[in-house]
Amino acid sequence: MSLFLASTRKDLARWRQDTNALLLFLAIPLLIGGLITVLMSGSGGAKPHGTVLIVDQDDTFLSGVIAGAFGQGELGELLTVKKVTVEDGMANMDAGEASGLLIIPKGFTDAFFDKQPVTLILKTNPAQTILPGIISDVTEILLDAGFYAQQLFGEDIATIRDGNLEGLPDDVFVSAIAVSIQHKIEASGSLLFPPAMDIDIVPPPPEQPRIPYALLFLPGVILLALMFAANGLASDYWEEREHGTLRRLVYAPGQLTAFLAGKALAAGLVITLIGGVTLVIGFLYHGIAWSKLPSSLAWIAISGVALFSWFGALQMLAGNRRSGNLITSMLLFPLLMAGGSFFPFAALPDWIAALGRRTPNGFIADRLTTEITSATTWAIDIQSWLIVSTMAVLGLALCAWRLQTGFARN
Amino acid sequence: MLVISNLLKQYGDLVAVDDISLRAEKGTVFGLLGPNGAGKSTMINCISGLLRPTSGSVSVGGFDIVDDPTDAKKLLGVVPQELALYEDLSAIDNLRYWGKAYGMRGEDLASRAKEVLGNIGLADRSKDLPKTFSGGMKRRLNFACGIMHRPHLILLDEPTAGVDPQSRQRLFDMVEAERRHGACILYTTHYMAEAEQLCDSLAIIDHGKLIAQGTVAELRAKLGARDVLQLSGAFPGDSSQQAIQKLVNNGLSDLELIAQEEQNITMTLSDASQHLPAIFAALAEVGGNVSETSLRRPNLETLFLLLTGKELRE
Ligand SMILES: Nc1ncnc2c1ncn2[C@@H]1O[C@H](COP(=O)(O)OP(=O)(O)OP(=O)(O)O)[C@@H](O)[C@H]1O
Ligand SMILES: [Mg+2]
Repeated sequence: MSLFLASTRKDLARWRQDTNALLLFLAIPLLIGGLITVLMSGSGGAKPHGTVLIVDQDDTFLSGVIAGAFGQGELGELLTVKKVTVEDGMANMDAGEASGLLIIPKGFTDAFFDKQPVTLILKTNPAQTILPGIISDVTEILLDAGFYAQQLFGEDIATIRDGNLEGLPDDVFVSAIAVSIQHKIEASGSLLFPPAMDIDIVPPPPEQPRIPYALLFLPGVILLALMFAANGLASDYWEEREHGTLRRLVYAPGQLTAFLAGKALAAGLVITLIGGVTLVIGFLYHGIAWSKLPSSLAWIAISGVALFSWFGALQMLAGNRRSGNLITSMLLFPLLMAGGSFFPFAALPDWIAALGRRTPNGFIADRLTTEITSATTWAIDIQSWLIVSTMAVLGLALCAWRLQTGFARN
Repeated sequence: MLVISNLLKQYGDLVAVDDISLRAEKGTVFGLLGPNGAGKSTMINCISGLLRPTSGSVSVGGFDIVDDPTDAKKLLGVVPQELALYEDLSAIDNLRYWGKAYGMRGEDLASRAKEVLGNIGLADRSKDLPKTFSGGMKRRLNFACGIMHRPHLILLDEPTAGVDPQSRQRLFDMVEAERRHGACILYTTHYMAEAEQLCDSLAIIDHGKLIAQGTVAELRAKLGARDVLQLSGAFPGDSSQQAIQKLVNNGLSDLELIAQEEQNITMTLSDASQHLPAIFAALAEVGGNVSETSLRRPNLETLFLLLTGKELRE
């Protein structure tokens, strides 16, 4: 016990001096994460921008309102509205040039006021995630609002529609409508009918999550931090061997386990710190609930220890420091690639994503995604915690075995 | 304290330690002498448990290092030939860490670390990192790390290599102090003078074999009072040897030829300086040509030469 904490303290004291390495471990994920975020958000970090195509076959005042709604206010900054024919619209969509296509069928306005079912068609671009989501949300809001407005004020609106709008309506006429609307608002209470109108959203292919795309990069970026830090710290076994301190450890009676556990704790703390900084920045940027921070940090900590112990074991299995570093860096990049650090699983072909989730880092990133995107905290299942803890213990056992079978002796 | 019985260590075909047996008692310094590659470090590594002997046994304070390593290692302190320090951890933290590795804690650990640091003359550098130290300072700290836990048997593997005279004297003082406290010290070196100054008894090894063993006085007695004469130059093989044999027959009866090569002849005899003209003349007669002469009074350094026909250090 005495050596366990002494070992942790000694490694923290030593590593603290290597600020360059620590900053590098931190800079890599922040740089790549920042780069991805900027790329994802279009030029200069501005909001995404896309085109919504509208085929207005009805061509009435009301259909014009719906079409116009996409160009209003903040939405207008995100979307350019383009009126097109069905053929042009479809062709544009197939070419992936627009974020969405909304078809307002002929007779929409009449059906609306006659409370007849009517179907709008919305097609979204499967290659994009944010804008199509916004388009379908807006369409639904518009239709909901339209439905309730019609339920409540349909007659009054019809009065306006049928009234003579060429001259100004007289005061009596206006106040009659106002009183009628007032009555209906009071009477309606919690009116909730299923809308007679429907929107037919042509669904994009499955697997397309409903969470912001940039957020899906966060776990991969954090894994980048964990992997680089774990790999970097694991070469400390060579450092200790070359300085003869491992040999000196073998002179002492039976303390290898305490030594290893202490070093793993120190590595776990450093990795958690580095991963934690990345995590907090991600939480701030994406506005993730802080209640998920403790569970996410705990997951990062145990995963960091597991990764460190396996990188350490690999280093110690190698014949010399150079081949140790070669082996781990040859593993590092393919693992990061497959494990979702450069492209999130959602963007990878299914079979690669399935494979990637089985890499150690992919497994950790996948569960971290679960944690930060699910509705509840501590969302990672108990099996996953057990798997990672077991891997940490096995990795350390392998390290202990290597220390005993000669790694410490030369 | 230390009993080595028929120790044999092989690296593949190479026999690094060849069937060596020794004993060293508490309160004494035992010197292990030999040239580079003699097998000194290999022996130390077998005693410390770092290497497993091919055969034979090592017992420390009655505990076998292979069968009962934990008990044996508690009694052992090792100062390895190569530095074994955390260069990026302060001097005092190095000492504390190694103390903890041997189960020390609390007040005992703190006071012992201070004491040892004072003994090695680094009290004012306690918070500094060893990477900022000179070679001699690192050696002293390396020594201190090995004796933090007050071991009963201390293995010192060439502690003075690359150390200035001042640091060397400090190391000797520390070895003396440990001996006074009752420790048994196994001191490895290839400096005979160090061994003569420090050691109560000695073993001389070469090519893994024990070639002489005893107290310093016993080994000196082996030498007798004969000088060692070394001649360099050009000496035709058989005829030089015959010329020297003739000298032996004509009165220089205690002259002994130790080694003879084309360019070197080594011999021992008493009162060598008086016989130099005769020896030069005899060699010149057979076409020999002496370009350099070295005449040495007997000491342990020359003992090694007598035993092996070669210098302890090249
Ligand atoms: N790991 C090893 N593998 C193979 N041969 C070795 C190994 N270590 C040492 N040897 C050989 O064993 C012999 C004894 O080496 P050792 O290091 O014990 O000598 P030494 O007396 O300590 O020499 P020095 O004074 O140079 O330290 C040498 O011939 C050396 O080459
Ligand atoms: Mg040696």
